Amino acid sequence: MTQPKSGVIRWWGLGVFVFLVATMALVWVFVVDGVVKSLIEDEGTKAVGAKVELEAADVTLFPMGLTLTRLQVTHPKEPMSNAVEIEQLTMTMDGLELLGRKVIIEEMALKGVQFGTVRSTSGAIDDQSTDSPVSQAGEEDGMAFTLPPLEVPNAKQILEQEDLETLKLIETIQMDIQREQEVWKARLANLPGKEEFEKYQDRVKGLKNSTKGGIKGILGGVEEVQAIQQDIEQDLADLKSARKEFEEKLALLKTRLAQVKAAPQRDVQRLKEKYSLSPQGLANLGQTLLGKQIGAQLKEFAHWYAMIEPYLAPGDGQAGRSIPKEMRPARGEGVDIRFTATHPLPDFLVRLADVSLLLNMGVLKGTIHNVTPDQHILGTPLTYSFSGEQLKDLTSVRIRGDLDHRQVDQPKDTLALEASGYRLQVIPLSTQPDWPVTLREGLANVNVDAMVTGQTLSARITSQLSGLHIQAGNADDSNPLTNALSQAVSDISTLSVQADVTGTLDQYDIKIQSELDRVLQEAAGKMVQNLAASFSKDLQATISAKVAEPMKALTGSLGGLQGVGGELTSRLTKEKDILKNLLDQGIGKKAIPEKILPKGLPGGLKLPF
Amino acid sequence: MLRLIAKLLAVLNSETHPGQISLGFCFAMIAGFTPLLSLHNLLVLLLVLVLRVNLAAFLLGLGVFSGMAYLLDPIFHWNGFQMLTMPSLEGVWTSMYNCPIGRLSRFNNTIVMGSLVFSLALFVPLYILSNILIARYRAHVLAWIEKSRLMQVFKASKLYQAYQSFSNFGGAS
Repeated sequence: MTQPKSGVIRWWGLGVFVFLVATMALVWVFVVDGVVKSLIEDEGTKAVGAKVELEAADVTLFPMGLTLTRLQVTHPKEPMSNAVEIEQLTMTMDGLELLGRKVIIEEMALKGVQFGTVRSTSGAIDDQSTDSPVSQAGEEDGMAFTLPPLEVPNAKQILEQEDLETLKLIETIQMDIQREQEVWKARLANLPGKEEFEKYQDRVKGLKNSTKGGIKGILGGVEEVQAIQQDIEQDLADLKSARKEFEEKLALLKTRLAQVKAAPQRDVQRLKEKYSLSPQGLANLGQTLLGKQIGAQLKEFAHWYAMIEPYLAPGDGQAGRSIPKEMRPARGEGVDIRFTATHPLPDFLVRLADVSLLLNMGVLKGTIHNVTPDQHILGTPLTYSFSGEQLKDLTSVRIRGDLDHRQVDQPKDTLALEASGYRLQVIPLSTQPDWPVTLREGLANVNVDAMVTGQTLSARITSQLSGLHIQAGNADDSNPLTNALSQAVSDISTLSVQADVTGTLDQYDIKIQSELDRVLQEAAGKMVQNLAASFSKDLQATISAKVAEPMKALTGSLGGLQGVGGELTSRLTKEKDILKNLLDQGIGKKAIPEKILPKGLPGGLKLPF
Repeated sequence: MLRLIAKLLAVLNSETHPGQISLGFCFAMIAGFTPLLSLHNLLVLLLVLVLRVNLAAFLLGLGVFSGMAYLLDPIFHWNGFQMLTMPSLEGVWTSMYNCPIGRLSRFNNTIVMGSLVFSLALFVPLYILSNILIARYRAHVLAWIEKSRLMQVFKASKLYQAYQSFSNFGGAS
C-alpha cells in the first residue's frame, strides 16, 4: 500500500469547480432564451385555452431584462384570429428581487399591440371546442331590442291566437253549475216528496177512522197524532235546511256570474295593452332605436372586462407571515412558509407599461401603472391612461381610469372616456322590415363615466350628435303611422342622448333620455291615440261577440238550477198543507205546537179530552 | 447491484484515508437528501472538489442517499415545518426571508429546511461511524475480500483499471 496523498486542499478541484460553474452558466445563457420561449408558450396556452405563440425571446443579464418578439395570443372562440398580437415587448426587471423569486418589472414597453388580427393557421388546441355560430347568434338575440307594433292590429286575428279569460271563467262556472245540479238532484231524491206526502195523507185518514173506535181508539189516535207531528216536524226541518243551503249556493253562483259579466272588459284591456301602440310605447321608441347600439358597446366592454378581471384576482401573495393549511404536499415539493417582508412586494408586478395600440382607427398611446394581481400587498391600484389624436373617423380620444382591487372583497374599477369628432357611418338602428331605420352619417362627441363595484355596473353615457342623416321607412310604405315616424326621424339633424346604465355586467338596464322621444310624440302621438281608440272599439266588439253565446248558455244553466229552489219551496208548502188539513179536521191540535202551524190557522175540531 | 458493490469494494480497498471516504459519504448525504438544485449544494460541490474528499464515495453515496430521500420525504417535511414555525426562530427566518440570498436558498421550503437540518445533524455521527466501520473492515475483512473470487474478477476488469489510474492521478482521493 502506498501512503495516502497528504494535505487537505485539492487545488485542481477549485479549477474543476470553476469550470463546471462556468459551463453551467454558459449552457444557461445559450438555452435560456429557448426555455423562456417554451415556458411562455406552454403556460400561456394553458391559461388562455388557445395557442399562444412567440417568435423569439431574448433574455439579457446586464441589465436583467427580457424582449419578446411577435407574441400572438389566439382568440379562444375564434381560432383563426388573435385576441391580441404584440409586435415587440421589452421589459427590464429587478434582478435582485428575481433572486428572491419575485418578478418585478420596472418598465415594460409594448409596441404594436393589435386586436383581432388574422392568423395564417388555426390557433385552436386539440381538445378545444369552439362555440358554434348558433350560440353566438343566441347571445345576440338575448340583447335584442324590439320595436313596438306600428300598425293597427286585427282583433279577429288576435283572438284566434289568444285565450280569453272570460271563456275560461264561463267554462269553470258552467262545470260548477252542472255539478250542483247533479248534487241537488240526488238531494231532492232523498228529501220528503210526493211519496211521503201520500203516506201522510193515508195516515191522517187512518187517524180519523180510529177516533170512531171508542176510548181505546181515541187513545191510539193520540199516539198516532204525536207520531205524525214528529215526522212532519222533521221533514219540515230537513226541507228548510236544504232550501237555506241551496239559496246560499245559488247566491254564490250569481256573484260569480256577475264577475263573468265584467270579465270581457278585462280581456279587452289586457289585449289592448299587449297589441296596441300606446302613446307610452311611442315614448320608448327612442330607447329602442338607440338602446341596441349602446347595448352592443356595453357587451363589448363587459367582454373585455371579463377577460382582464381574472388577472386582477389576488394570487397567493401575502404581505405578512402565512403558514399554508395544506399539510400534505406532493412528494419532494414541500410547502413554502412565508414570513413578514420588510418591504412587501407582490410576486409579480409591472410598475410601468408603455403601450402603443395599433387599432383600425390609428395609434393609441398610453401608460399602465402597477399591474399586479396582489394590489393589497402593493397598496396602489392599477391606473391607465390612453389618448389619440387625429385618428381615422375620430378627432381625439382620451381614456383613463383605474382598477382598484386593494380591498379584495370590494373591488372598484372606473373608466372615463372622452371622444370628440367621432364619425358615425351606416349604423342600423332598426332592422325591422316594416320600419327600417339607418343612421347614414353623423358626428358624435361622447363622454362615458363607468364604474364597476364588485359585479354592480353603473355608467352614464352622454353624447351630442350633429350633422345627422337618418334614413327611415320603406319607399312603398302605406302605413300612415310609420310614414309619419319616418318623416319625423329623417328631419332630425342634431340630437342629445343620455344613457344611464344600472345593474350587473350580465344583466343591466339602459335608460335613455333623448329629444327623439319628444320628436316622435309630436309627429305621431295624436295618430297613435286615434289608432289605439279604434283598435279598442274593434276589440270590444269582437270579444263581446265571441263570449255572447257561452254567456247565454251559462245564464240558462243557472236558470235550470233555480228550478231546484222552486221544487224545495213546493215541497215545503205541500207538507204544511197536509199539516193544515190535519188541524182543520181538529185532530191533535193540542199536541202540535203553535209554532209549526201555518199562520192564521183557524181553530178546528177539538179533541175529545 | 453487483457493479455498485464492486465500486464500493474498490473504494474501501483503496489506499484512500478513511476520513476522505467518510467525508465523501457525508457530503453525499447532504446533496442526496436535499433537493439537488438548491443553492447550498453548490457549496457542497465546491467543498467536495476542493477538499480532499473521495469523489467515488461521494458519487456512490449521492445515488444511495437520493433514493433514501424519497422514503424520508414525510419526515423531512414535518421536520422543516416544525423548524420554520418555531416561534423562537421566527426572527432569524424573517431576516433571511428579507435577504435575496436567503430567498434564493429556498430555506423557507419545508423539504429544503427539513432535509438540510436532518443531514447536517447526521453529518458528524455519520463521519465518525463511517470511519470506525472502514477501519474495522480494513482490519478484519479486507484480506478475505482481496482473496475472494469476486474481487479477483473485479480487479481484472477495465472498470477497476480505470479507477486505479484515476486514483493514481489523484481523482479518487
